[in-house]
Parts: sequence; structure tokens; C-alpha cells
Amino acid sequence: MLRFSLRRILWAIPVLWLVATLTFLMMHLVPGGPFDREKKLPPEIKANIEAKYHLDQPLQIQYILYLKRLIQGDLGPSYKYVGRTVNDVISDSLPVSMQLGFAALMLSLLGGSFMGIISGAFARTFWDRLSLFFATAGISIPNFVLGALLILVFSHYLKVLPPALWEDARSVILPACALGLGPAAYIARLVRASILDEMHHDYVRTARAKGFSEMRILFHHVLKNAITPVITILGPLTATLVTGSFVIEFIFSVPGMGKFFITAVSNRDYPLIMGVTLVYAFLIVLANLIVDLLYPFADPRIKLQ
Amino acid sequence: MNQKMKWCLVGLFCLSLFFFVVQQKNKEKAQAFSATFRMNLIAEPPTLDWSLATDNVSIRVIENLMEGLAEYDAALQPIPAVADRWEVSDKGRTYLFHLRKDVFWSDGKPVTAHDFEYAWKRLLNPKTASEYAYFLFDIENAAEYNAGVIQDSKRVGVEALDDFTLRVSLKKPAVYFPSITTFTATYPQRKDLIERYGDHWTDPAHLVTNGPFLLDEWRHEYRLTLIANETYYAGRPSLDRVVFYVVSEETTALTLYETGDLDRVSLPPIAILQYQHHPDYLRAPFLRGYYYGFNVEKAPFNDARMRQAFSMAIDRTEIPRILKGGELPATSWIPAGMFAHNPKIGLSFDPEKARRLMSEAGYTQGSEVPPITLSFNTDPTNTLIAENIQAQWKKNLGVSVLIDNMEWKVYLRQLKENTPQVFRLGWGADYPDPDNFMNLFTSTSGNNYTQWGNVEYDRLISEGASEPDVSKRVAIYDAAQRILTESDTPIIPLFFASQNLLIRPVFEGLQVNAMDLLHLKKVRLKSTQKEKF
Repeated sequence: MLRFSLRRILWAIPVLWLVATLTFLMMHLVPGGPFDREKKLPPEIKANIEAKYHLDQPLQIQYILYLKRLIQGDLGPSYKYVGRTVNDVISDSLPVSMQLGFAALMLSLLGGSFMGIISGAFARTFWDRLSLFFATAGISIPNFVLGALLILVFSHYLKVLPPALWEDARSVILPACALGLGPAAYIARLVRASILDEMHHDYVRTARAKGFSEMRILFHHVLKNAITPVITILGPLTATLVTGSFVIEFIFSVPGMGKFFITAVSNRDYPLIMGVTLVYAFLIVLANLIVDLLYPFADPRIKLQ
Repeated sequence: MNQKMKWCLVGLFCLSLFFFVVQQKNKEKAQAFSATFRMNLIAEPPTLDWSLATDNVSIRVIENLMEGLAEYDAALQPIPAVADRWEVSDKGRTYLFHLRKDVFWSDGKPVTAHDFEYAWKRLLNPKTASEYAYFLFDIENAAEYNAGVIQDSKRVGVEALDDFTLRVSLKKPAVYFPSITTFTATYPQRKDLIERYGDHWTDPAHLVTNGPFLLDEWRHEYRLTLIANETYYAGRPSLDRVVFYVVSEETTALTLYETGDLDRVSLPPIAILQYQHHPDYLRAPFLRGYYYGFNVEKAPFNDARMRQAFSMAIDRTEIPRILKGGELPATSWIPAGMFAHNPKIGLSFDPEKARRLMSEAGYTQGSEVPPITLSFNTDPTNTLIAENIQAQWKKNLGVSVLIDNMEWKVYLRQLKENTPQVFRLGWGADYPDPDNFMNLFTSTSGNNYTQWGNVEYDRLISEGASEPDVSKRVAIYDAAQRILTESDTPIIPLFFASQNLLIRPVFEGLQVNAMDLLHLKKVRLKSTQKEKF
């Protein structure tokens, strides 16, 4: 397992380099620069600013300078947030996104699995249809609509939860629901399909022949196998949720990192674009590694190679 | 009682307890806002370094932390602040600012003329790379120093003659110069602290200021808290605290106002109709103009008659009807609320005359006009306006115009590299003087994308900037506006914006002005509210 983990970590280096290089090239291909303004800057002032950030250098020199800094763990200065480095911006905002993301992840895992089990165990009954209704609604309602709806009901009418801001634990509830209900619905459908598939296997027939109760078969035998597809999607889902969501952070005024995926691009804040992309890529690699390490526990037939 | 019923009861009890705790929390929150004023910022302030701040958000915070030589009164006229008075000599080319001796930094040191000299030269220093260095380009050798043509900062025309006297020498007379000294970029700075803390001199732990409030906390992307400055020279402000929350979404801010979490919000356009009879509602003019510009080098707008025809074919009264934000239709360019505003200037709606002009230009029918594209940056408001005007041009001139929208930075690049035939832009006042609006379209202005130039117009703008007599200035700007919006028409002014606000009535003294400057030092809780809380 140690060798496997080390090899995967080493593989992460070329992956991150490739992501950094492609992002660097693509963002410089997009028209418009970081210091293009509605009120045009006098040329001498623009020249001063570009010199300060080495934007007056040829692209290949900028690329080498960036990689040099990156190797030292320095993501560079933000062009938008003057005096702050990208490391500062990310270290301020990522923990908030992670708090919200983990809350949403727990909600989607627990809620989704629960709905999926009910659905699978009571297939084609009222409970299955009810679960299907919630799952379809969860998948088809975009999270910005759900967010607005939650604010309307719980903040506007019932006045029991804050509509926005990040003051205390109560502030997490609405954004976590808005963020987590979509994935929960997806997980519910996945678990249901897996359970129904597993129920037709020979080992279930054997267990039934032995006289085990349906509950015991479901929880002791079927669920272990049915949960494997959920573990597969857990990697990218975790990375997506913990790096934040632009829409949810925007609606609920959450001081997280998700907004920078959009605003850094619209501001052409090149170092910040690179920074958030690399953090996202790194988390994807890390989450997938953890998922791969978890597989053998869920299904002993899987061997790490 | 069976098992299921028991669980139901336990569940109900837990739920009731939860709602009770939540309600109590809400009550506590409502009681906590005694002398605290809470409002939203639409984004995280990019910086609190006033040499580098260029955006409204940063400026909104800085203007409550700091004061410069002058400030605006209610009528937006510059009046002394840190400067006790100033003298103008040498036919308007030299300003001598005499500073008050009772103004102190928050660490107890006096604010001196040397702090201003340092701050202004830092602003102009090419190494600072300040975007607003051009604010001081009226000063002798300022532009040259900023461009690196001269290296010696002593040659820049600003000098502290002693601790409390600052001499400023201008290249040419600029009657609006006192207005420039109200602007945040010209506020004084402490050389010792900037050198000691580098980029971190604006952190709450290091920031030293001289204004009515002090920075207490800055939680990035979320909240800034200001507290009253007990040693402020004009007396401690009435408010104990000011909290700025970063809330970008306007409808979220509005919900927070309704739940009592904010005390002032700007209304999103969609909510204006619903709230316009609300007791907290306030509408105020805004020194921001919205216009369509022509690229006068591209056909068919290389003919002034076509530009006039397209201007006259727009019924601007339709704009407030579709936007519903109290916009003021405009045919002239100097905005309402600024002296020299003259609504009688410009080409008013006259579709018949417009068609005649088009015919004189050689196009008897709309179908004969070469293809025209109207470009703008992607935004719902811009789209609404463009679609309306597209329909008006079709109806009144018979001309089919394509509309094309682009992401903001792509659009700016397009304006710079290949200016479209018709484009949208706006302009907000940096200082409340007509020069700030009219200077935009001189042939040397970097912001003039129309490719249009007029020697007479340039001469008038230069004359207006140096003319001390207000009535003569009005006549000069009238003449210039007639060239800009009637005879040559490189632009079509469309409307001046308005501010639509909700302000909690427990506060008084909040002066809403057309510059959208928000000086909170005069805000106080009404006496009846003080007793209540």
C-alpha cells in the first residue's frame, strides 16, 4: 500500500505540471488583460504596472518565472488583491469552503445513502416512489434555485435561519443543504440501482436459503457491495464540494474559495487562476488516491497494484 | 403509547427546542445593534492602500478611515478638512495649503505637510505602479516623474515648506484642483510605517489613520469592522461601530435588510417597483452617464448627418420605462447635479428630421445603409437597452442593426484594437466638475474610443479647466457640449443613472450625494432609538 501511495504521489507531479502548463497557455490566449479598465490607463502607468508583475516579459520568460516560484510553493502575487499573495487568498478562503464542503458531503452521503437504501429495499412501493420523487427533484432543481427557495422558506417566512453570512454553525445549514442535495439525489439513485443489481446475485439467494432475514441480507451482505460505486464518485465529488461553489457562495455570502473560479477569470488575475486551478487539481488527485486506498476495504477482491 | 408514537413525540420536542433557541438568537441579534451601522460591500476591497485603491469598494472603506486636505460639503463643493485654508497665486498655478495643527494620526503623531508630500510622491513613483497617479498629472513634472523621464522626485511640484504648509505648483491653472485633494489617492501617508511593514502596512494591526473611524478587524472576503476614533480632530463620531459585510448578491443584501441584518442597501433593479413606496426608500441622482459612441472612421458613421440621424431616432424617455430605476433621459453629456448641466442641449427625439438627415447623407431607405453592429459588454441592463434601441432604429429609420455582446475584458480589448461601429460605455465622476466628463472626448484622451477629434472642442475644454469665473465656464461648456452632442455627435448620451436605496430610519445624518460618497461620521441613531436600546 505504501509503494502504491508513493507511486501515485509521484505521478501527481507530472499531472500538476501539465495542468499548470495548459492553464497558463489557455488563460493567456483569452483576449483582455488584467489591467484593461473602463477608464483607460495612461500608457506610462500601464507600463509601470506591467513591469511590476513581469507582464512586459515574453510569455516563455513569464512561464519560467512562474514555474520557479511554484516549485518553491509560492503561487505569486494576486493582481486584483494588491499586497496579498495567492497563498494568502487561498489560505483565507479554502478552510471556509472545506467546512461548507464537508457539511454538504456528509449530508449527501448520509441522506443519499439513506434514500437509496429505502428505495432499494422497498422497490416499487410508495417509499421507493417518494424517494424517486425527491431524487428527481434534487437532480433537476439547480442549486441556485434551491438556495433561493431555502432562503425564502427558512429565512423570509419562518425566520429560523440566517439568509446569508458566515457567523455561526447555523449559517452552514442552508448553504450545505443547497450544495449537498443535488449530489445526495444522485447518490440515492446510484445506491438504489446497486442494491437492486446485487439482490439478483447467487450469494443473496444462498443467504435467503439459509433463512436470514431480509434486513440482515441487506445490511450485512448486499450493502457492502452496493456501496462500491458510491466510493468511486466520492473522489471527484469531495474535491468539487470542498473547493467551494461560486453560485452558493455568491447567494449565501460565504467567504469561500469557490467564487475565485469565476472572478479570477473575469478579472484576468492570472496567478489566482493558476492557484485555484492547481489547488483543485491537487485535491482531485488526493481524493482519488484516498478513494483507491479505500476500495480494498469495501471489496477485498480489489487489489492495489 | 406505542413505540412509533414515542419517537414522534421525541422528534417534535427536539424540533420545538431547536426553533426556540433559534428565535432567542434572533432576538439577541436585534438588540445588539445599538450604535452599530451595518451595510454591504459588493466585493472584497482589493486593497486599503489609498495609493493603489481604484475601485468604489476600497474607496468606500478608506473614505471613512482617512481624511485629506479637503472634503466635499453637501453641495459637493470642496471645503477645508486637514487643510485649514489654501491660497491660490501665480494666476492659478500655485496652491499653498495651510494645515490644521490639531489633526493627529491614530498613534498620536501629528499629521504634517511632509506626510502629504511623501504620499503624493509615492503615488507618482513608477515603482508604486499606481493606476491613479494621473490624478496628480496637473502638478509640475508629475507625469514626467511617473513616466521615468525624470528620476529626481525633488523636481515634482509638491513641497512641504514646513510641518504645516504644503506648496503645490501646477503645469497650468486647474480650477478644479481643490476637488482633486478630496480624493482618497491624495490622502497623507506615513513613510516610517510603510517602510517598516511593506505590503502589510494596511493590516489592521499596523494601519494608522487620521479619520473618524479606525480599522478594527478585516476578515477577508467576509467582513470589515471599523470603530469610532476617540481622538478624531472634529470630535468622536456618534456611531460606535461600522460593519461592512461583503455581500455581492443584491437580492441577498435585500433579504439581509429585511431580516434586520443590514441598515443600508442598494436596491436591485428588479426590486425597485416593489419598494418604491416603502418608508425606508430613497432615490437620489448619481453622477454617472451612459452613452453610445460611434467609431467616426467606419461607414456609415463617418458622416456626421448619419450620427445625428441615429441620435434623433431614439426616444430616450423609453429607458426609465424599461429599466424602472428612475434614470434621467439625457441628450447632453454633463450630468444633472453638476454645474453646467444643461438639459436643453443635444438632439431630442425627432424621427422625421432623422429620416431627412439620413436621406441627405445618401440613404433614402434603411435597407441601403451598410450593415451596422451595436456592441456592448454582457450585462442584462445593457441587453435591455440595446434591444429597445435596436427596435427604435428599425421603427424610426427602417435600419436593421445587429447587436453583439462580449465578456467585459474581451469587450475592452475590442474597443482598443478594433472599435466597433457603435459601442456602449459609461462614465462616473472622479470629481464633481464638468472637466471630468468633458475631458473624456478631447483628441488626446485615452478614453476617447470614437476616433473623433475637434480642435475647437479641445480648445474649449482647455479654456474651461483654467477659467476661474463660474458663469464664463458654463458658457464654455455649453459651447463644447453643442459640438459634442449636436454638430459633430460622436456620441449619443442616453441617460444619467440614479441611486435607489433603503436606509433604516433609526439612523439620521446620512447624506446621500450624487458622487455616492458615504461619510459615516455624521450618522447617528435618532435620540428616541437611543432610549429604546
